Amino acid sequence: MSDAVLEAGPPATRGMGMTRWTGGALLLALVAFAVAGPLLAIDPARQDLRNMLAPMGGDYLLGTDHLGRSILARLAHAARLSLGFATLALLAAAIPGTLLGLVAAWRGGWVDRALSILADMILALPGLLLVLVVAAFAPGDIRVLFLGVSVALWVEFFRVVRASAASLLASPEVEAARLLGFGPAHIVRRHVAPRLAPVLATLAAFGVGGTVVTISTLSFVNVGVRPPMPEWGNMIVELMPYFEEAPAHVLAPAACIFLLLIALNLLAGRDPR
Amino acid sequence: MSLLVENLSVAGPQGRIVQGVSLAAGPGAPLTLIGETGSGKSLVAAAIMGTLPPGLSAAGLVRFEGRDLLPLSAGERRALWGRRIALLPQEPWLSLDPTMPATGQVEEVFGLVRGQAQPAASSASTRLLAALGLGGKAAERYPFQLSGGMAQRVAIAATQAAGAALLLADEPTKGLDAALRDDLAAMLNARAAEAAVLTITHDVALARMLGGTVAVMLEGRVVESGPAAQVLDAPRHDYTRRLVGADPSRWPRPAPTASNAGVVVTGRGLARGFGGRQLFRDLDITVHAGEIVAVSGPSGCGKTTLGNVLLGLLRPDAGTVTRITAAPVRFQKLYQDPPSAFAPHATLRTALADLARRHGIAWARISPLLQRLRLAPALLDRLPGQISGGELQRFALARVLLLDPVFLFADEATSRLDPITQQEVMDLLRAQMAERGLGVLLVTHETALAEAMAARRVMLDAAETQAAAATEVATAAV
Amino acid sequence: MSPIARTLIGRAIQAVTVALLVGVITFVLAHTLPGDIAMRVAASRYGADLVSGEAADLVTRELGLDRPWTVQLLDWLWRVVRFDLGEALVTGEKVTDELGLQLGYTLLLSFAALFLSLLIGPPLGLLLGLRAGSAMDRAGLTASAAIRALPPFVLGLLLILLFSLVLGWLPPTGFEGLRELILPSLTLALGLAATSSRITRDATASVVAAPYFAFARWKGLSDRQALLRHGLRNAGVPVIAYIGMQLVWLIEGVMAVEILFAWPGVGHALVHAVFARDIPMLQGTALTMGLMFVALNALVDLTCAAIDPRRRAA
Repeated sequence: MSDAVLEAGPPATRGMGMTRWTGGALLLALVAFAVAGPLLAIDPARQDLRNMLAPMGGDYLLGTDHLGRSILARLAHAARLSLGFATLALLAAAIPGTLLGLVAAWRGGWVDRALSILADMILALPGLLLVLVVAAFAPGDIRVLFLGVSVALWVEFFRVVRASAASLLASPEVEAARLLGFGPAHIVRRHVAPRLAPVLATLAAFGVGGTVVTISTLSFVNVGVRPPMPEWGNMIVELMPYFEEAPAHVLAPAACIFLLLIALNLLAGRDPR
Repeated sequence: MSLLVENLSVAGPQGRIVQGVSLAAGPGAPLTLIGETGSGKSLVAAAIMGTLPPGLSAAGLVRFEGRDLLPLSAGERRALWGRRIALLPQEPWLSLDPTMPATGQVEEVFGLVRGQAQPAASSASTRLLAALGLGGKAAERYPFQLSGGMAQRVAIAATQAAGAALLLADEPTKGLDAALRDDLAAMLNARAAEAAVLTITHDVALARMLGGTVAVMLEGRVVESGPAAQVLDAPRHDYTRRLVGADPSRWPRPAPTASNAGVVVTGRGLARGFGGRQLFRDLDITVHAGEIVAVSGPSGCGKTTLGNVLLGLLRPDAGTVTRITAAPVRFQKLYQDPPSAFAPHATLRTALADLARRHGIAWARISPLLQRLRLAPALLDRLPGQISGGELQRFALARVLLLDPVFLFADEATSRLDPITQQEVMDLLRAQMAERGLGVLLVTHETALAEAMAARRVMLDAAETQAAAATEVATAAV
Repeated sequence: MSPIARTLIGRAIQAVTVALLVGVITFVLAHTLPGDIAMRVAASRYGADLVSGEAADLVTRELGLDRPWTVQLLDWLWRVVRFDLGEALVTGEKVTDELGLQLGYTLLLSFAALFLSLLIGPPLGLLLGLRAGSAMDRAGLTASAAIRALPPFVLGLLLILLFSLVLGWLPPTGFEGLRELILPSLTLALGLAATSSRITRDATASVVAAPYFAFARWKGLSDRQALLRHGLRNAGVPVIAYIGMQLVWLIEGVMAVEILFAWPGVGHALVHAVFARDIPMLQGTALTMGLMFVALNALVDLTCAAIDPRRRAA
């Protein structure tokens, strides 16, 4: 419906380059945390029952939860889970989505129509709803979650790539290239890919962010990732009852989600959807 | 003379862009500023109006109706807009609110700026639009439903409604064909009887029609000025001479087609529709080697479609196209907007190298061709967006010539270029055509250019809804 | 056929697709565990202790659970058209009755959120768009980015912590009256407003830089007149269109917020149906939310067409 809503683009605000770098640095830090954290931290399942809800600082850097488990360790494992899952889902969605979008734009005709109808059908249900219904039949099963998220994400890549590629393929520069005798490989390399790359990068950033939000929301309502496997969403719901005694503990996983999303938003820029 | 400008200069962070400009205009004494892109003519108008972009400032004397304009504050300048000074923008179809009907956009000037009450404002607006040729239903339409010429009339009506005594017209004929240009000149002349009219253009023919005084600008200065007939018929400055000479109506008429010239492409009984409209039907057209056939007609009548059908990019709904050779790569096209035909992120060297590799062309063939087209080797390492329109179009020409074409479809290939640049490109095209026996189909909305370049012309004539009629006109050799 | 008629037909098709999708997905997935369903229905009717294989078989035959699933699907679709969605497994009540009640709460929450967001977002965006590039604009963009980095349930949580537990001004959960509506609708409204203010800002800045806006001023109109007569309508077009995209976020957010605030709407019921494996209830709530989404989108389409004449042209 509104793919080209802001194609004209408003006057850009100055100093945007700085924000991209900040976002990138922040994301890098989080990725490092996700990769190295679980290796360096203690066992996230170990319950230190004499030290429940320990305050931050001291023995446990970020304190312990209601079962005496290290929050820092759990956050690191949750980070690995979320980022790993989101990256895999992104790849599972982006690669077929981009390829099929290109094919649909190039071939047109019934191929395009069939794929577009498929995409519209999936779009009929908002992503979370779709994943929820699918996950309903195997709550806690991460593979089902993965399927639901990838399918919902695929559509976004397909639609945006198809629209961009279609308008590019109808442009004078591609017509001229065809007349000059160039084939599809060259056209994709010189005309389509350079234009598509930034769009894909932005979609990827929003895709990862959206996936993490979906997983954490579903885990929050106990349908997604269930305890004892640590996930930011389920950590929040577990620690909520103890807010009065240990306010910072609930906010720690929330802060992780926030930092990740801010980093991605800063990197991404404008929403091409 | 209500408008007096003396020693006007416009300066920016890098220094003076315009200097020493002096001119005068008044009711019955219109002034036309002629120049090419970058001459500073638009800045002169902006300085008078008070719409200079931030970072630029004007100095000198600008006096209108006895008032010095430059020392006025922004608010005081603003108060003159519409009421005393009006600016007719370059591309009127972009300057109309797409979500408001035409008549409303004129009516609000009567109502809000002139202060008339509702029924009076509405009828005044209807009358004015009718007087300009937009009567009845047409006036109620939205801008996207109006043609270029109609949008132009709405814009003119809007500038007239508040009763301004000075009209600044910035490139008013941009994108308009000959018939519309003549209409516009008539409208401006009518206005010039009562108000001071300052027209900015690079169209010499328009300047001639407007009469009055003409001032020629080059690189920020006025190099020649005087009565229109004198400057345009007997120019004294070298640049003016070149500018006037670049008017296609001045060019030598083309020689008729050689009787033994081979046929490059023929279309018989061609028909093609678009969006429910029939563009042309039962159309026969032939292009011989070494000749130029021009296709003209109002915009939207199917000129580009015809060319694309001959090239093989489009299938006709009916009829056949016969080509002298089956090799598709020997049928090529030049585009109206040069940058749009190149990949923006690849240097020109890369573009040519890709082409060379694809078709096994030795680089040794490329350098002499670039030289013939007067393209400096240094330009090769630039991006398409970094060189001028004229240079880029010459690169496009080089690109297609490398493939040894037999047919070239020049789709308004010079309409975005300045007159002198247009002349250069057309001269080069003619030279190459004669050398290689190339057949050229030239699509243009400029009648003068068609007459100057082509031995044979096809006129496509489309009215709102019915089928087209094509008539071939042979231009006698001079 | 006018473009608007075509869009509405498209929405009707979307509605049918939603029904098909919900039906197909739930049926295909449920069919992989048939024994389970029959047992659960039996358990909910006769009590968990009295359930036996016989009782399950009885239920299977009664509900036609042994027919091919295509037949079951068509049967369900036919019943949907007649507004018969069966009985909830948990409560035994008619699904349509339960939904009726819950839909009321969800619609109340959704419209309150939309209304609040329209009060906050677009006006703020308009203000910032007129001052594009200024420090105020920069601050607004940062705030908007920060709020968009908080999923609805986290934002809701923070608001609860702030207003209920720290300040004690508002009740955290429940659904007695208007006071309980404030926090959940504010949570959603803030998220919606963060995006709509950004969109409005961009649209306003675009419009102000457009040639037709400049011409309006040159004709002699004051800035205020130009903005009111030409700026608002043109800026409104992309803003309203974008609200369509926000509806996705809204539907998803409503579910999360209803759970967090224990707001007894359709989203809340949906999640509980998931836990209880209450298939009829699951189908009913998913169907309702999906159709609500389509209906809201159709409303947005109509509004867009009302504003932008290009969409009405035959």
